[in-house]
Amino acid sequence: MPAEPRLSHTAAMILQAIHAGQIYGFSVMEMTGLPSGTVYPAMRRLERDGLIVSKWEQQSIADAEQRPPRKYYRLTRAGKSTLEAVYKRYPLLERMIPSPEQEHEVERR
Amino acid sequence: MKQTFSAQLAGLMVGTASLLVPRRDRSAWTAEWTAELWHLCHPHGCDSCDALDADPVEFSVGAFHDAFWLRCDHIRSSGWPGLQSGSAARCALFLSATALVALFLCLCLPGARSALLPLSRRDAGNLVMISSNGYAGTQAPSIRFADYQEWTTDTTALFTQIAFYRTTARTVHLPRNPTARLSLAQASDNLLPLLGVPVAHPGTSVEEPGEPRLILTHSAWRRIYGSDPHLVGRTADIDGQPVLIAAIMPDSDWCFAGHIDALLLEDQRNLAAFPSTTKGFVIARIRPSAFPAPRGGWRKMVETRNGVTRGFDCISVTHLLGQPFSVFLFALLLASLALPATTALPLGDYPLRHRRPPGTIDARRWIFLAAKFSLVLVIVDLCSTGLAFGLAASDPIRALYIQLATAFPALLFGFRWILQDQRRRCPECLRLLSNPARVGQASCNFLSWNGTELFCARGHGFLHIPELPTSWFSTQRWLCLDPSWLCLFPETRSPSPGLV
Repeated sequence: MPAEPRLSHTAAMILQAIHAGQIYGFSVMEMTGLPSGTVYPAMRRLERDGLIVSKWEQQSIADAEQRPPRKYYRLTRAGKSTLEAVYKRYPLLERMIPSPEQEHEVERR
Repeated sequence: MKQTFSAQLAGLMVGTASLLVPRRDRSAWTAEWTAELWHLCHPHGCDSCDALDADPVEFSVGAFHDAFWLRCDHIRSSGWPGLQSGSAARCALFLSATALVALFLCLCLPGARSALLPLSRRDAGNLVMISSNGYAGTQAPSIRFADYQEWTTDTTALFTQIAFYRTTARTVHLPRNPTARLSLAQASDNLLPLLGVPVAHPGTSVEEPGEPRLILTHSAWRRIYGSDPHLVGRTADIDGQPVLIAAIMPDSDWCFAGHIDALLLEDQRNLAAFPSTTKGFVIARIRPSAFPAPRGGWRKMVETRNGVTRGFDCISVTHLLGQPFSVFLFALLLASLALPATTALPLGDYPLRHRRPPGTIDARRWIFLAAKFSLVLVIVDLCSTGLAFGLAASDPIRALYIQLATAFPALLFGFRWILQDQRRRCPECLRLLSNPARVGQASCNFLSWNGTELFCARGHGFLHIPELPTSWFSTQRWLCLDPSWLCLFPETRSPSPGLV
């Protein structure tokens, strides 16, 4: 029996926040309202399960702006398909944290 | 100013939290926390957020949550069975650690140490303690000095050496040292050679012929004379009689009746001043040919010079010193007899439908059961001996009673726990079963449920325990699950708290 990934609401919010463009840990915290002790472990689990990937930004960019380099996150293909499935379970998720495309669609209507 | 302080505090907290992170992940986590904290403290440098009211300290508190989660995850993923709750290895480790602690405590307590360790003297099996009828192993002196004097010449066919001692309290005066009242064993001067105790005489001392010698125990030397290194070789005064302090002996060298601070060794000429009715203890070294096997205890009839024949008990010293273990074995017998009356002995039905070869499963279960029994026996033996001989009583007879009174209930409860623990374990992985659930409906047995079921968190199966023996479940029974059920059990997947 294949185990279909079923995300908790917290994990779904974080996934949606990253999809919505909040690509840094702190910005995800700000968007979701979740504390650090929840967001980072959850992002590590999502990364381990292959739903998101992380990457450190180039040192030269950080040096130019005189700040430490940041780690940013983005959804994988599996993450996107999982998120599509999660919308059926948490239909209000898109309204809580709309992605740029969703906002664009709302504006067009 | 306030913002600077909170930023510094937050940086300090993040640094502390990073110490809790496993070493392999520490640098990556520290870098991410530090970077995010920087952007938190410098919101104008951040393009993607407008967190002017964010609290850096609050962010840093979250770092501790992160670190705690990482540490737990590291322990879980490292797979060390000793830390997994309910595992057989954890149980065995706990019992082993308890046994080691009990052994350490016993070795620290002099009384318990001498009761535990075997007599390591030369030819110890041929040493006997002679006592009158009914006095064997007691603290009461029973041999008259006159009898001892007769035996020194009349029993050469039975004994190669024979020594006498009596316990007494005497005041010891020593110049430049406090006057002390010591418990002495006033003994014939052949006692230590008979026991095989080597006593090193100081080269500087000049021993007068016939001068009594005082052998202090180590504890008395330390307690009364403050471990004075120059004590040996000096002359003390005991009731006006000069006595040479000849040596210090370890406390463990004295394991006979009577608690003493020192041995006062006197030659036969001094001992002859004892009244003939003085009662004391006699230790002898036997001629093996005169004492038939089995070794342990004999009753010997000795004819006195006035023609009266009297019987004496000759009890082997190794037998006397081995009494604590004999009492423990007796307690073990009593507990084994009482066990079936207090708990059910069967471990339940385990049908042979495992995923691994049945022989391996059964062998592991029985080895684990045997290990638990062995460790509980060791723990109870050590604890009861330590309590009885190390803490509770200086009287060996009372100590033996205390040992029996503590070892019996401890063994009984220990065995009950072993059986109950064994019944509550998965036969495949030997982990404790969890999530008990009452099953069944009210029925003709007038119970609101028929039984209890516990399952193995790894999905090996579940255990049905009937409330009452029935024709279909007379005893608890293990029910195996095939691998298709594994997805229902959380521990069969990689831990992923983000997924529900």
